[in-house]
Amino acid sequence: MASGIEISSAMKVYGEGADAVHAFGPSTLTVEPGEFVSLVGPSGCGKSTVMLMTAGLLACSSGSISIEGRTVRGPQTRVGIMFQDNTLVPWRTVRGNIELQLELRGLNVRSYRAKIEHLLRSVGLQDFANRYPYELSGGMQQRAAFCQTLVHGPGILLLDEPLGKLDAMTRENIRRDLQALWLDERSTVIFVTHSIEEAVQLSTRVCVISPRPGRIEKVIDIDLPWPRDLAVKRSARFGDYAGEIEEIFHGYGVL
Amino acid sequence: MAMASSEKAAPTAGIFAPVVRLVRRSWLFVLFFVGFFVAWEGSVLVFHIPPYILPKPSDIVVSGWVDIDKLVYYTWITGSESVLGYLVAVTIAVPLGLAIAFSSFLRQTIYPFFVSLEMTPKIAFAPLFISWLGFGLLPKVIIVFLVCFFPIVLNAILAFGSLSEELERFVRATGATQWRTFFKVRLPAAMPQCFVGFKYAAINATVGATIAEFIGSDQGLGFYIQIVTGNMRPDLAFAGIFLLTLLGLAVFGVVTLIERFAIPWHISQRRAR
Repeated sequence: MASGIEISSAMKVYGEGADAVHAFGPSTLTVEPGEFVSLVGPSGCGKSTVMLMTAGLLACSSGSISIEGRTVRGPQTRVGIMFQDNTLVPWRTVRGNIELQLELRGLNVRSYRAKIEHLLRSVGLQDFANRYPYELSGGMQQRAAFCQTLVHGPGILLLDEPLGKLDAMTRENIRRDLQALWLDERSTVIFVTHSIEEAVQLSTRVCVISPRPGRIEKVIDIDLPWPRDLAVKRSARFGDYAGEIEEIFHGYGVL
Repeated sequence: MAMASSEKAAPTAGIFAPVVRLVRRSWLFVLFFVGFFVAWEGSVLVFHIPPYILPKPSDIVVSGWVDIDKLVYYTWITGSESVLGYLVAVTIAVPLGLAIAFSSFLRQTIYPFFVSLEMTPKIAFAPLFISWLGFGLLPKVIIVFLVCFFPIVLNAILAFGSLSEELERFVRATGATQWRTFFKVRLPAAMPQCFVGFKYAAINATVGATIAEFIGSDQGLGFYIQIVTGNMRPDLAFAGIFLLTLLGLAVFGVVTLIERFAIPWHISQRRAR
């Protein structure tokens, strides 16, 4: 079951008085159920702040955010979150790490056996289930982290630059897996990235965020066919979308 | 040729495999170790150093063997003081470190106090404890406790207070209870840093016990070394020092072994496997 997110004039200011840092907003955005929305912007523009506020891990200074019509107050256990630095713990194997998500939620691990196998297979880690994170490459670790994020079946995914630390080839690979997973499940996704190409390739809509204090300056519908394979990426329209976003950043002097 | 011989050596395995591996890996060290004692023995002979200044290693072994009953008993005494004081320190310091890591009140009160006490040479308290509590086991255990307690508590505070921001958020987002969070994430995450304190304290333990015995006691290796040195018997003093070294190695070795089983996944343990 996919579900929507409503961000209403949400704003975040860190600190008080003269030292206050205006990190984000106020901005408004509605993410429909089953949408894949990317937030693109220069570093320090408050993209991660929006994520944390949506997850309920950070309170809005003003405005509000609601998920499925319910206002976010405190950590949202219904969402799946993923960060640039993965949350795999070094003392557990890949499978153990996926199970950690279930155990922390008090879910019955045994009833998720099949789901875990399915997820591992879908990211090509079926032969690495009993390996420890340090035995895996950065890309494989991030794939394992995807399984950890998805295992309890969250209807909403908040992905904060999950591919940020990977090399270009691995990124491309995992992007394809991520797209396949999303096309399969159609969960609601907010995806933070600073890669324009990545945003255009994966999203139904791209939100362009201005430099600090970050505001959602423009929302662009990406009307390209699925799956967005190499042919789509080489198409003129793909280039047009990327160019349009690039122009905006060029206007800010960040590109 | 070299490759062929190593290929042949591999399947000899069996019970001697670890010994063979050890010798192959650290034969340079073994050579140095043996060479050191040979050079010592030779220098004493060549330079005619009188035995009341520096005895030969062979004399140390012979004299030590004559006094072996007493030496073993005293090793047991010093060992008991060290281990008891160490265990008490671990038992009190870890929960206290945990409490300080999570209580801002304790962090503002007792923590600065501990940090300043860490700068004090704990051994300076030894004469006081001896004068308060006499020559028995208790003052030694307290002194060992003191020299072990601070490294453990300070490392435990660091350990329990430094969960990565991502993990912290991940755990909060699952809505897990405090208990579950503690046992599934915080405790295992804190173990490597805790063991830094455990190992440091293990080195301190026998040092603390020995010095405490120097200051006031009627048994133990520290006591023994002081007495035999006064009697112009450096050979026996060296025998005592040798047993103290073994004792220190044993205590440290046990803690290291426990570490290997407790946190085999940690980077400090991986190279060993």
